[in-house]
Amino acid sequence: MRREDQERALVEVTSRVVDSFVQAATDREGYLEGVLSDTLYHEGLRLEKADPSDPATKAYKAVYSQARRELGSASSSRQKAMLTEITRQFAEEVVGNFDERVYRVATRALPHGLSALLKGASVRRVANMEILFRRGLQEYVSVEGEVDHVKALLNRGTLLVTPTHSSNLDSPVLGYAIYLMGIPPLTYGAGLNLFTNPVLSFFMSNLGAYKVDRRKKAALYKAVLKQYSTVALELGYHSLFFPGGTRSRSGEVERTLKKGLLGTAVRAYTNNLQSARPKPDIFVVPCTINYKLVLEAETLIKDHLAEVGKARFIITDDEFSKPRRILNFMSNLFSLDARIVVRFGKPMDVFGNPVDLEGRSLDPRGRVVDRRGYVSRGGVPVRDDQRDQQYTTELAGEIARSYGRDNVVMSTNLLGFALNNLIERANPGMDPYRLLRTGGTADSFPMSEVHSEVERVLAAVRDLPEPPALEAIIQRGDVPDIVNDALKHFAIYHTLDAAERRGDRVFHHDRNLLRFYGNRLRGYDLGRTLAAGS
Amino acid sequence: MEQVTVIGAGSWGSTLADVLGNNGHDVLMWARSPERCEEITEQHTNARYLPGFELSPNISATTDLERACAHSKWILLVVPSHGLRQCAREMGDFVTGEHSIVHATKGIEQGSFRRMSQVLREETCVRKIGVLSGPNLAKEIMRRQPAGTLVASKYREVLDQSQALLHSHSFRVYAGDDVVGAEVGGAFKNIVAVAAGVVDELGMGDNTRALLLTRGLNEMAHVGAAMGANVLTFGGLAGIGDLMATCASPLSRNHQVGERLARGQSLEQIRDEMHMVAEGVKTTRSTFDFAAHKGLDLPIVRAVNAVIYEQRPVPEVIAELMALPASQELVELSW
Repeated sequence: MRREDQERALVEVTSRVVDSFVQAATDREGYLEGVLSDTLYHEGLRLEKADPSDPATKAYKAVYSQARRELGSASSSRQKAMLTEITRQFAEEVVGNFDERVYRVATRALPHGLSALLKGASVRRVANMEILFRRGLQEYVSVEGEVDHVKALLNRGTLLVTPTHSSNLDSPVLGYAIYLMGIPPLTYGAGLNLFTNPVLSFFMSNLGAYKVDRRKKAALYKAVLKQYSTVALELGYHSLFFPGGTRSRSGEVERTLKKGLLGTAVRAYTNNLQSARPKPDIFVVPCTINYKLVLEAETLIKDHLAEVGKARFIITDDEFSKPRRILNFMSNLFSLDARIVVRFGKPMDVFGNPVDLEGRSLDPRGRVVDRRGYVSRGGVPVRDDQRDQQYTTELAGEIARSYGRDNVVMSTNLLGFALNNLIERANPGMDPYRLLRTGGTADSFPMSEVHSEVERVLAAVRDLPEPPALEAIIQRGDVPDIVNDALKHFAIYHTLDAAERRGDRVFHHDRNLLRFYGNRLRGYDLGRTLAAGS
Repeated sequence: MEQVTVIGAGSWGSTLADVLGNNGHDVLMWARSPERCEEITEQHTNARYLPGFELSPNISATTDLERACAHSKWILLVVPSHGLRQCAREMGDFVTGEHSIVHATKGIEQGSFRRMSQVLREETCVRKIGVLSGPNLAKEIMRRQPAGTLVASKYREVLDQSQALLHSHSFRVYAGDDVVGAEVGGAFKNIVAVAAGVVDELGMGDNTRALLLTRGLNEMAHVGAAMGANVLTFGGLAGIGDLMATCASPLSRNHQVGERLARGQSLEQIRDEMHMVAEGVKTTRSTFDFAAHKGLDLPIVRAVNAVIYEQRPVPEVIAELMALPASQELVELSW
């Protein structure tokens, strides 16, 4: 955020958050005291584990111990003052993370950014990494879909890019894709764990990222984050949210999205109309980030399948925390000319209506809609939280539909899905977890059977009313080629090959991984079509 | 008092316009027929659909859809289900994001099995959509006998507006957020009403009717659940309430269709003799197809469908229903 906007954002965020809590406290005895107690409680737990010599920790502790002493006897105006002080402290931390100089350098340095940083982090140079650096990253990241449409909207309003999320590499990859498109860096909140990775921490802030500390559990802190992202949008900073909230553990394309952060889009738009900003519009741009191999696949699917793991929100010990693993992943992936595909969907307004090249909203029959009407009463823009939540639900639905259309199916997804089908069919009625663990009665399938299952799945995919996109090798439709390509990829990176060809048979070694890659095709209702065909 | 718009001048549309007019609102109705518009505006009657009743003097009518849509941001849409898509498409030229549309059409689109609110969403830019549905026989409401209805919408603003405009000392308007449930209840009860007409015409008693209604409600709940409704809605005005009124009343068109079917008339004969549309006839076919697609077992729907579309004799179909095995009442769907 530019320096002149930083102070403004700080003031806006603090006053809006405080006002919203004060307003909610009207006619509710003890409400503010409750908010303050909640904050002190959660922050107390956090600070117990924090490094006591850290200056930030000391500053927080000073404010909280003062507040704790006063809370019991504080008047309501004193409560409000305490709330303001704590809110401002949170807001300063969030807003202050952004360094203008870094931002400017990053804009220039981005083409070499990721590769140079990877190089810098490597202890010894890996031979084929050299090739990667020389050829530049654009060889490896493809950008496709509604690129021209997105660029056409760049100067008509503020972009809110909402990608699918399957890997911690998503943000650097997307940052790079955005750079290739000539779009300035996106503002976005990233978990602290992304900054602890030595390879990418520097790179993260260069993307316009501000730190989100998920250890801060207080509702007040979350309100600050949400308000900051609203204010950034209002100030015209192109932004990025992952509306799935967290990396897809199952490998599926997200179908249900988190509405909290997404709701800031309608809010920012309404605020812009109310304050009569010259360019009030916010355009939502869904996109998918597609990998033939996913860096953290093994950890993610394990986490998905483990009963306890389902509650884990932050994974700190995955492949991403190991720089060598990232290097290994990238060099292997790129040695096979595997491209990471970033595909942009059709841009829409904050209500989920498609917009045309001029940024005008269109109704389902293609007629131009004056979108101001959605938030107006008697022609005047008004705020209505219940209404806006509903709009956000509709927006989330449209983003999810767009994901379904713009998901780029890779050979690994197709083979994973097909092998899962074969395994399930060979073991009718077996407990699915047991099946994943043991693989059932047949450890392998004849290549011909694998081919015909891949063919069947592909036909069903193509037959869908709203089919996903397909990577080039799948588009060409040569099934043996597709299967070979997938097997080649399964062989190069993961600890255990997910599947392997021996002679004329395909052996399945890691069913979890097959499930993970195959899941990318779940949620399309392929099951019914396939069952009808068999 | 507010300006309000009612699209459609059949018996139900005119009745709701009358409720609004009696509440003191400035009502503009839209109808295709210039003669009907003139009659409503000049004589305050709608002799074809509400013979013998006088309409509120606060009502006028127009054939100009643009004018009707500009008259109010709150529009009540009351057209037959088969005409709703076309009508909505035409309205799409004139409505804005600020408009709310509440429809009072009980039916499901044939072929697509789309609910009316989905059709509205597909044909217009309007998001603030609601549905009005309940045990509301037009003639009783014209006589201002106490009645109640449900307006369901995801948007509280629509609920508040609709209650403020429509609620009166003889017409209670309840609010809810289950649009799917309200629409399924309103559409599905018509099928049971046809069956009730059959049963009544055959001189069967209260036990039979209670059996039919209760098991009909069960099928309604299954269809609703399959479409994403809250099952509790079917215990309310748009569910059991509407079912009871429709099935008990010989005034209902669907009931009359059932009576005629029981007398052995064919669908063609019935169509020729009744010039009012009976939604239940079409809804039976749509629901029958939907159940087949979703793998739902709906014996009553199957039976009504067999009588209407397969010309199966009524006694045979009833005997088949009664021969089905009876298992758990509330768990499985069987007769």
